[in-house]
Amino acid sequence: MSQPELLHFEDFRAGQLFRLGGHTLNANEMIEFASEFDPQPQHTDPEAARHSMLGGLAASGWHMCALAMRMMVDGLFNRATSMGSPGIDEIQWRRPVLVGDRVRLDAEVLDTRPSSRPDRGFVRFRFSMTRDEENRNGELVMMFVCSVMFRRRATS
Amino acid sequence: MWFEDFPLNVKITLGSYTFTEENIIAFGTRYDPQPFHVDKEAAMRSPYGGLIASGWHTAAVWMKLMLAYRRARIEAGAEEVQANYVSPGVRELRWLKPVRPGTTLTYTNEPFAKLDWPSRPQYGLIEGRNEARDEAGELYYSFINRVLIVRKASQRS
Repeated sequence: MSQPELLHFEDFRAGQLFRLGGHTLNANEMIEFASEFDPQPQHTDPEAARHSMLGGLAASGWHMCALAMRMMVDGLFNRATSMGSPGIDEIQWRRPVLVGDRVRLDAEVLDTRPSSRPDRGFVRFRFSMTRDEENRNGELVMMFVCSVMFRRRATS
Repeated sequence: MWFEDFPLNVKITLGSYTFTEENIIAFGTRYDPQPFHVDKEAAMRSPYGGLIASGWHTAAVWMKLMLAYRRARIEAGAEEVQANYVSPGVRELRWLKPVRPGTTLTYTNEPFAKLDWPSRPQYGLIEGRNEARDEAGELYYSFINRVLIVRKASQRS
């Protein structure tokens, strides 16, 4: 099933930069995610969060990952042949993300390599989430390096 | 629990979680709307041959079970203080097998290292191995967590 309009493994090159969009975090979505998956006061209780190490209601790190995933899908994978990821070497949560912060996500291609399975290849990205704000413009809040599998074009 | 209280090299069972069509699609729709996470029909035609959970869903469930485990220990009187889980990051996340509807995974945690965290000396860093296995013992997901926990020593002054 060839889908020439979608990005395939062969379309990725080391050094490419994809801007995957931005998002402003509100308290409701932070509390909604945290209530189900990370119910700690610094993520669910604005009053208690003011006294926490993070300095205010802050998004769960796992919420930041889920939001990054959503930006990857909306910004890139929905026009590509993504087949998922086998894993991530390291996720760094560098700074807390607080209510009202606007973040954006960029993806830089580090390298590409074909899989031993002929229908797919791996593209290794560095995903950087930065804060888009007057005073802290460009401040890195989260970073991870992740390989994603994409289909190869049929060669016949 | 204080930093000093965490035993090393003791594996604890955090709890279990059953992935269902409903919770897989709910998570996928919100955070990871790729066809194999949200659409049964399209998932059949995907490389996975059916619906599978987002890797971030599998990952977030660990946090949910870790906190529920600690809360239960406090309620049972086995631990005193709820440690806040503040983490500078995690390592070596491996999604080893696709998680399909009906799969129940049991998550375990085994702290293996205690490290200083010079930028916040009142805290120490604990690293632990984490696994999620099904009833047959097959490994689906693993990672190394890193968490900053307050030192008991920092409370004396």
